[in-house]
Amino acid sequence: MQERVGIVGVPPLSAIAELNRQEALIFDLDEPQVRAPIDQSATWAPRVYCAILRTVVLNCMHLQLDRIFIDVGPGKCDAALYIAEALEGMLTIPIHRTRNEDQTAFGFPLCTTAMPLEEKIAQITRSVQRASPHQVRPACAPLCGFWGVPPRDFALLRSFPEQTHVFGWTRCMENKTPANLDLEKQFNPDLPTVFFTQSFCAKAALAQHLGRQHPQALVIDCDVSPSNSARAKIEAFLELSGVPISVTTAT
Amino acid sequence: MLLADFGTTYCKLLDTERDEKPHIIASRDLPSDFLADLGTGHNAVRRSKRAMNELSALARGGCRLIADKNFVLLDCGSRDLKFVRFAGGKVVDMGWNAECGASMGFTIELLATYYELDYSTMAVPTSGFSITCGVLGMSHIFDAVVQGSSEEEAVARFVRGIALNAHRFAGAPEELYLSGGLCANPLFVACLPCKVHLLGRFVLLEGLQDLMSAKLVKYP
Repeated sequence: MQERVGIVGVPPLSAIAELNRQEALIFDLDEPQVRAPIDQSATWAPRVYCAILRTVVLNCMHLQLDRIFIDVGPGKCDAALYIAEALEGMLTIPIHRTRNEDQTAFGFPLCTTAMPLEEKIAQITRSVQRASPHQVRPACAPLCGFWGVPPRDFALLRSFPEQTHVFGWTRCMENKTPANLDLEKQFNPDLPTVFFTQSFCAKAALAQHLGRQHPQALVIDCDVSPSNSARAKIEAFLELSGVPISVTTAT
Repeated sequence: MLLADFGTTYCKLLDTERDEKPHIIASRDLPSDFLADLGTGHNAVRRSKRAMNELSALARGGCRLIADKNFVLLDCGSRDLKFVRFAGGKVVDMGWNAECGASMGFTIELLATYYELDYSTMAVPTSGFSITCGVLGMSHIFDAVVQGSSEEEAVARFVRGIALNAHRFAGAPEELYLSGGLCANPLFVACLPCKVHLLGRFVLLEGLQDLMSAKLVKYP
């Protein structure tokens, strides 16, 4: 019977390769996998907490998993380290804590290719589940940049054009080097760039720091879903930065 | 072309095909079938053929009205605060506070009606309440009145707290361009701890006119 394995963050390549060999069914627990109110997670994790890790808890409450790989090192965050403890308390399955410090660069062709940003980041997160090399893709001339982690709610990404280059930890994910801080810190100062973090995430300090260095930056955070004002800020920032105007039409 | 800034409590309208100035109508008095050609504001998507987001409209309107290349423009409406900061003719910062700064303008108007106050005759207080939103801030008024302050003095301190909060939200600039309904409130304006230029209530309509016109402003 196919083993059902949950992953949190980017487990080391050796672990993913082993799961691929075993043909395990992998669930990315950082993303919503079940339709259930996120407040259900409050039994095991605080309400005022990273929405991605609250989603991890929610998924674990509903998915019948055989085991979990959770990255708790510099490639993820301290909060995951503590959520691993909570998972240990709520589940009876093995919880494998990993510290992914892989340095073998796989490249980041999706980050620089032309594709709707939601689809681009969805493909990047799916690529974490495979140990195989990436498909070669042409890089596009960028119009703007998105720096940060894959948001808990991809609706945040809808205003961006296809020619958005992706930076930050999402780029580290595709490169399969999630602990590569030098890569995470990279940005293109010639591109208007949105620096995004989840609310209550420690990476907010890095986003703010880099945003101050960037000549044309919008630093933004969102909790579970983007508010109207968050979406409007992104739209206005892109438009006012010269990225093609998006005008909503009434039905 | 009928342009509309659909504010929470007041709508600002301009018919560009008529030789008339913009006018204001209470949102509650707007006909249910009203449809603008181009709109901005909370109800713009539902009540307009085309809608533009408020920050864009604010920035575009500011560019049309302000000659300076470096400025901060703050819009204080009934429900929220918005600001854009330009440096060298480029937008370098912006913010929209619809939660923590909620309902400031609306609360100020309600208080004047309830306590029968005239903001144009009220003295600027030496200190304000530490408040972040209109709704939560009202408790300070009630507490101050219970402790012996006059209603007028308590409301004035409330308004000063609101003004200081709005100023901080905009990045605490030394000089500020102000738009929105609170331009018409002398007490609020006097409580802002910086040099203030009043632009009035039609800046977002200016932004819509900018979008409508063929000569789109180039950003940056």
